[in-house]
Amino acid sequence: MLLALFHWLGQDVRAFNVFSYITLRAVLATLTALVISFMVGPLMIKKLTAYKIGQAVRDDGPQTHLIKAGTPTMGGALILVAIAISTLLWADLQNHYVWVVLVTTLGFGVIGWVDDYRKVVHRNPKGLSARAKLFWQSLIGIGVAGYLAAVASVPAQTELIVPFFKLIAIPLGTASFMVLTYLVIVGSSNAVNLTDGLDGLAIMPTVMVAGALAIFAYVTGHLVFAHYLGIPYIPGAGELAVFCAAMVGAGLGFLWFNAYPAEVFMGDVGALALGAALGIVAVIVRQEIVLFVMGGVFVVETLSVMLQVASFKLTGKRIFRMAPLHHHYELKGWKENQVVVRFWIISMMLVLVGLSTLKLR
Amino acid sequence: MVEANNWQVGGRLTRAKRALSALVRGRHQNLTVRFWIISMMLVLVGLSTLKLR
Repeated sequence: MLLALFHWLGQDVRAFNVFSYITLRAVLATLTALVISFMVGPLMIKKLTAYKIGQAVRDDGPQTHLIKAGTPTMGGALILVAIAISTLLWADLQNHYVWVVLVTTLGFGVIGWVDDYRKVVHRNPKGLSARAKLFWQSLIGIGVAGYLAAVASVPAQTELIVPFFKLIAIPLGTASFMVLTYLVIVGSSNAVNLTDGLDGLAIMPTVMVAGALAIFAYVTGHLVFAHYLGIPYIPGAGELAVFCAAMVGAGLGFLWFNAYPAEVFMGDVGALALGAALGIVAVIVRQEIVLFVMGGVFVVETLSVMLQVASFKLTGKRIFRMAPLHHHYELKGWKENQVVVRFWIISMMLVLVGLSTLKLR
Repeated sequence: MVEANNWQVGGRLTRAKRALSALVRGRHQNLTVRFWIISMMLVLVGLSTLKLR
């Protein structure tokens, strides 16, 4: 929104042209989202506490989590507000990718909101049924996949890029592209949701992956850098760096209140939306496999649940003491803080590996 | 009046000491993370000087 204003002002005062740089707007988007989180956060926590919108803690979870009961949840709304305002202020609103990503993120946020609202306000422990949740997620996922397939103008936009190999790009037909896009968006959305079980556990890896995707978006949308690095050039993708930067700021602002001992939880409204946002950005910048690597913590957490359920159904035995994986380590005696920070460290390393694929190809 | 002032100054110092010892003992563990966040933001501002010149 401000970009149009600065373009207009730049006709008379050249200094305003500095705002046409994506890098500067990305930094400003981060700071804006952070400031919004700091300003709105305490008010929102007060309101959520006043309305008694508190998290219910699973009875079969670790005993140490029982004291968390009643902590305000649905704080993810704070993240979404900060991301939306910051993106609308600093991104180029004529860029269709910005709108696709924003609408998808908020769409998944609405699904999470309904689920949380039913759980904590209507006291319905099931919230939105798993089937209904998957239906709405699929609807948005397929819709977005169809749109991206329809607007693809260069072959690179529907190719699967294989990291570490400069010359390998697998062309996907429309159907395969849509299936992959759907799986990435819905998969990452649910993976972040499963990871969101300890204070700060989901948000920090999300921030790190979003930061890395901001770099990917920037170089993918830059003709010179894309050519130099041997990655596909996708016109307009660079603007997503502003969105990702807003995610980083909003995420860090939320972590301020979500760090152990958490004053607020993000709930499904935050987790589903943030996961979907990571997925859709990765799809647009053609880095689905790299997202799989960088979001390794989310992947492993999801796999731990799948393996646990499969093993229990097939053999009657559990592989882990408890799933998702973070509870397994808690029950092994790790303190909550230790689990969280160690998972952050692993995430940081995986993000570095992901970023190294930019050069190592 | 003098006593009250002394008490206030002492009170502030005690409060500061208490906060510091709480930080050291890790009772306010989210302070650590908040300091990391501030640090991260300062790094970001530092990096932005690469472009803003």
